[in-house]
Amino acid sequence: MGRLLLVLRLAWRDVRRRPVEAILALLVMMVATTTLTIGLALNDVTDHPYEQTKAATAGPDAVAGFLSENGAPPASAAVDAITRLPGVTAHGPLMPMAHTTLTLGRRTATVQAWGREPAGGDPVDRPKLTSGGWVGAGSVVLERGFADALGARVGDHVTLGGRSFRIGGTAVSAALPSYPSSLCHLLCFAGIAPGPHAFDLGLVWLTPADLATVHERTTPAVVYLLDLRLADPAAAPAFAAAHGRETAPFLLAWQQIRDADAGVTRSAQTALQVGAVLLALLAVAGLTVLAGRRTLEQTRRVGLLKAVGGTPGLIALVLFVEHLALAVLAAAAALGVGRLLAGRFTAPGAGLLGSSGPATLTASTVAVVIVVALLVALTATLLPALRAARSATITALEAPARTPRRHGRVIALSAALPVPLLLGLRLIGRRPARAALATLSTAVTVTGLVTILTSAAVNARDTGGLHNLRTERLAQVTTTITVMLLVLAAANTVFLTWATVADARHASALARAFGATPDQVTGGLSAAQVVPAAPGALLGVPAGLIVYRAVTQTSFSAPSVAGLAAVLLGSVLAVVVCTAIPAGLGARRPVADVLSAESA
Amino acid sequence: MQDVVLALLAKEPSHGYQLRARLRDALGPLGEALNDGQIYVTLTRLEKAGLVTWEPAGEGEGRDRKVYALTPAGQHRVAEWLTEVAWPRPAPTDFHLKLTAAAAARLADPIALVDAQRRELLRLLRDAQRAALAEPPGSVAGLLLEGQVLRLEADLKWLDACEQAWTTRGDRK
Amino acid sequence: MTEAVLRTRKLRKEFGKGDGRVRAVDDVDLAVDAGETVAVMGPSGCGKSTLLHLLGGLQRPTGGEVELGGRRVETMSERALARLRRDRIGFVFQAFHLMPELTAVENVEVPALLAGRSPRAARTTALDLLDQVGLADRTGHLPSALSGGQRQRVAIARALSTEPLVVLADEPTGNLDSAATAEVLRLFDRLHRAGQTLVVVTHDARIAATADRILSMRDGALVDQTVLAGAA
Repeated sequence: MGRLLLVLRLAWRDVRRRPVEAILALLVMMVATTTLTIGLALNDVTDHPYEQTKAATAGPDAVAGFLSENGAPPASAAVDAITRLPGVTAHGPLMPMAHTTLTLGRRTATVQAWGREPAGGDPVDRPKLTSGGWVGAGSVVLERGFADALGARVGDHVTLGGRSFRIGGTAVSAALPSYPSSLCHLLCFAGIAPGPHAFDLGLVWLTPADLATVHERTTPAVVYLLDLRLADPAAAPAFAAAHGRETAPFLLAWQQIRDADAGVTRSAQTALQVGAVLLALLAVAGLTVLAGRRTLEQTRRVGLLKAVGGTPGLIALVLFVEHLALAVLAAAAALGVGRLLAGRFTAPGAGLLGSSGPATLTASTVAVVIVVALLVALTATLLPALRAARSATITALEAPARTPRRHGRVIALSAALPVPLLLGLRLIGRRPARAALATLSTAVTVTGLVTILTSAAVNARDTGGLHNLRTERLAQVTTTITVMLLVLAAANTVFLTWATVADARHASALARAFGATPDQVTGGLSAAQVVPAAPGALLGVPAGLIVYRAVTQTSFSAPSVAGLAAVLLGSVLAVVVCTAIPAGLGARRPVADVLSAESA
Repeated sequence: MQDVVLALLAKEPSHGYQLRARLRDALGPLGEALNDGQIYVTLTRLEKAGLVTWEPAGEGEGRDRKVYALTPAGQHRVAEWLTEVAWPRPAPTDFHLKLTAAAAARLADPIALVDAQRRELLRLLRDAQRAALAEPPGSVAGLLLEGQVLRLEADLKWLDACEQAWTTRGDRK
Repeated sequence: MTEAVLRTRKLRKEFGKGDGRVRAVDDVDLAVDAGETVAVMGPSGCGKSTLLHLLGGLQRPTGGEVELGGRRVETMSERALARLRRDRIGFVFQAFHLMPELTAVENVEVPALLAGRSPRAARTTALDLLDQVGLADRTGHLPSALSGGQRQRVAIARALSTEPLVVLADEPTGNLDSAATAEVLRLFDRLHRAGQTLVVVTHDARIAATADRILSMRDGALVDQTVLAGAA
């Protein structure tokens, strides 16, 4: 009881004594864990709307596909072989699907043109009209998400493969993922490109008769689809695996469609998770600096607690409890904020019915976020804490300020340099570990920025002028991550400079006592950050490209050289700016104040 | 002693017992050794030297019928005394010579002499300090005791220096 | 005479290895009786602080024995040592070593809370001790708001908070001016009279003069003893 009170009191008083540091630590951990929360919260987000849509449209449990390179329908024996398979309880008609180009005004997109009978009433897959009416002669229906992206309305005229059609309606369906997700159904597996704007395929329904009149196609190949109803929908993947073949029949389970549908959120999610890892690294670096600044003080505290009879366990508790409490607080705040923000990334695709509601936090998400926050806090405080706890009581109690290291070569080398560089290099020599943290922090930030730059370059590729939900989402997500990266990186730089200023207070006061100007000292303090930051920035460029490649599993695609140069120069400049303020403040304290304060 | 008694009379003519009380106040515990006779012996000597004179004090009895006062020569002497800056015993010459002599003639181990002297000074310090602690804060006598304590402290530090010096000398031989 | 509270036999502490080896404490035999105040004096670097650290279990000896209250100290585990320090030893340091973020009364409470006393009991004791050291009106002040002498008195109150068998003080007046030294002297004198066993390591002769015995230490060994008790 008494001991607990003591531990809590020590932690609480410490926070109150340095509220700014506590708040900064909290913020740093919060930024990283919030990003992680959003990334994790997006995990199951679109399942729900997809399933609602499937129920409302009698969506298929599995879809059989036949690839016809010349356009001829498959033999009826082959079709029968599928419909008679055990477990198939119902099936729809055989439907042709061709690939062509759709133009509305100046916008062009590659579409999958799907022939459906105007009568409707099929036992499986009845697309639900969201406006207008079903297909008829000369009248087509657009998938709602696609129509939205295109800005098409009922009554507009579109050109489909050179022929003009009136838009009769818009509808949603569970048979194919909604735009801009797409499933390049069979063609891609057969190595046939569906069309020039193939990145996102639109979906348009029209009568088979009309489809036959569309001659300008992007590929002569036609896919014939057969919707199936299964006795056990949950077993659809097993069914598809057991009976599907590469060409005919190609079987697709509804779960695969659902997963493809989640693609919009998925790419955002991937970006967020990668971002969270980078942010967590930055947070560790920042917290390490914050914690490391106080090693000396902590060591004395440990010595004191030992001298008055604190057991090793209790001392460890005192050292960790403050940071762990901050970590839990940060995790809680991150879960709250993340839950709110996740909603912004999860508005359901227009191609689905229902709404996803607020992102839900599963128990595992909560656990992961809290564990990550604790790990970040532990990683950052472990080393200083261990060092403090292992030292002998007396050494700890009488700990002089950790003697800076001496690097004879750095000192000799720097003697020939201009004063600010000389001071800067010698400061780095005193605390090489801190310089390494500056390098790491810059490297991580530049890695993130280069990754984002690359994905922006990729996303800016031609989409036929369409308003692309995925690109928009990604842009939204990457902007968020960029802002967070920059905030954390700036915070880290300020922490590092601040720590260097505090550490070098005596040395820089002495330098000034012997005639260095405040500007030279400020320059030196800045140089101590900028010099290690520069290689970090250089390292970040290849790292960013590698991360992009690994995450998207796409072939290498480099962003513009100008962009890369801007990131490099910008980050180094940003470091200069971030260090200038604390360094300038530190370098202008009256010399006598500093020197006399040191001896007290 | 003579100068002190003269200075005490400079304020106003006083009885002998008044002088004694003033002296005791200023000296505190250190003035306890002073006996009544000493004051009167001193006064008699001063009188003979023509520095002090006395008048009978109307009523009262015994020796205290006398009220002592300074003569002009006495006043002159007091003024002279106040401007004097001589300082008693600025250097611990005696002990230093004792050490040198003992070492030269191999009469005794200088270190042993230092140790014995230190024990004695520590006892003196202990007594002075106890007396100082017993004084109420702000007492005049306390200030004198503090002077004694500080001098003893300085002497003890000097003994440490002696010890070190004589140890290294001994090593060199 | 009473039984010795603190006793060492052939106590030895060496630092370094090979030719650079230094004997900081060299075969020290010492016995401190209950209620006795013992001062250890000597020039800087003579090993007197190390001796104090060995007595308090802050460092482990290279050889020999330390016995406190009938129990061997040098063989104890870290945990047992911690318990010993908080229950039976009170430390007073030259640099005070107060926790800067805790108020005077909270600093005094620390050992009692570590010992598992109830917060209420710890607070009552702490207030009482601060009153005894003359700081009843400074209980809520942070160390930074106290003078050097006041800080050291808080530290002494802290050393007394678990009613230790022995108080070990390392240059308690080393950082204090003459007036503050007098405050501490007065306090030590009072503790002495109250029968507190006290071991003070110092090169301040004034502090040493409050002791019953003064031990002179040179090059790690006790070389001389001045008995002051009873002479007054």
